[in-house]
Amino acid sequence: MNPVARISLIVAYAVLALAALGRSSYQISTKLSEAPVPYLISGVSAALYLVIAIALWRRWAGTALVGTAVELLGVLTVGTLGYIESSWWPDETVWTGYGSAYGWVPLLLPVVALVLLVRERTARAAASSTPEVAR
Amino acid sequence: MDAYTGVVYPLVLVACAVLAVVGLLTLALPRLHRVLKLTAPVAYVAAGAQVVAVLLLLFSGIEADMILAIGYLIASVALLALLGIGRLGTPEAAAGDPDPNRPVLSTEQVARVDAAAAVIVAIALAVVSWRILIILENAA
Repeated sequence: MNPVARISLIVAYAVLALAALGRSSYQISTKLSEAPVPYLISGVSAALYLVIAIALWRRWAGTALVGTAVELLGVLTVGTLGYIESSWWPDETVWTGYGSAYGWVPLLLPVVALVLLVRERTARAAASSTPEVAR
Repeated sequence: MDAYTGVVYPLVLVACAVLAVVGLLTLALPRLHRVLKLTAPVAYVAAGAQVVAVLLLLFSGIEADMILAIGYLIASVALLALLGIGRLGTPEAAAGDPDPNRPVLSTEQVARVDAAAAVIVAIALAVVSWRILIILENAA
């Protein structure tokens, strides 16, 4: 992956991790009983952002790929459920409204990251298969 | 409160807008990196003014959620550390670090990394400031 894109993704995930970590730790420590599911989901999203940021830095491509896929699935699931079963969500999570409170960055970021990670994986697979073809 | 909503908050938003625009321009034209470096102190001043103004408001007796407001203030200061992060990828900086995952960037890549970080910080700082405004308005 282009180092500029990689570092930009790391910075974006670090910022999201900071935001989600701050929000969820406050909510979980002060009012978990009011809305346990949304607050715990915010906590999970914070942990996920942190794992993805570290995976991108350490070049753990598999972890980053799985992490971003889980993140995208989470944003789509929570976002959709928020609209069709609003009674399940007494308060907002980071992923509510497909991340609208965060400028839809939680929705856009995993898409961009997945595209870049899959392209890198494909390029690496093509590069490793080229010598065999030549043989 | 009026000083915050009328002066400090708009100042922060203008600083964020300048940072974002110059960041986007630098992404396209890395030679504008020098201009981007000049706009970073503007963000520091705006964020600093916001910290002082909000702390003054919080300790003047306004009944805002102090933990949340201070949390956002800390976040606004922490974000500033990401400005100019490209310097960590210069060959000189990477030479002293044995971490094999540390990227070594060319001058143009350093400019682009700084530009992308500036755009991200500008958006995040604007959102954090908006959240602080909501907390203060709810308390007023």
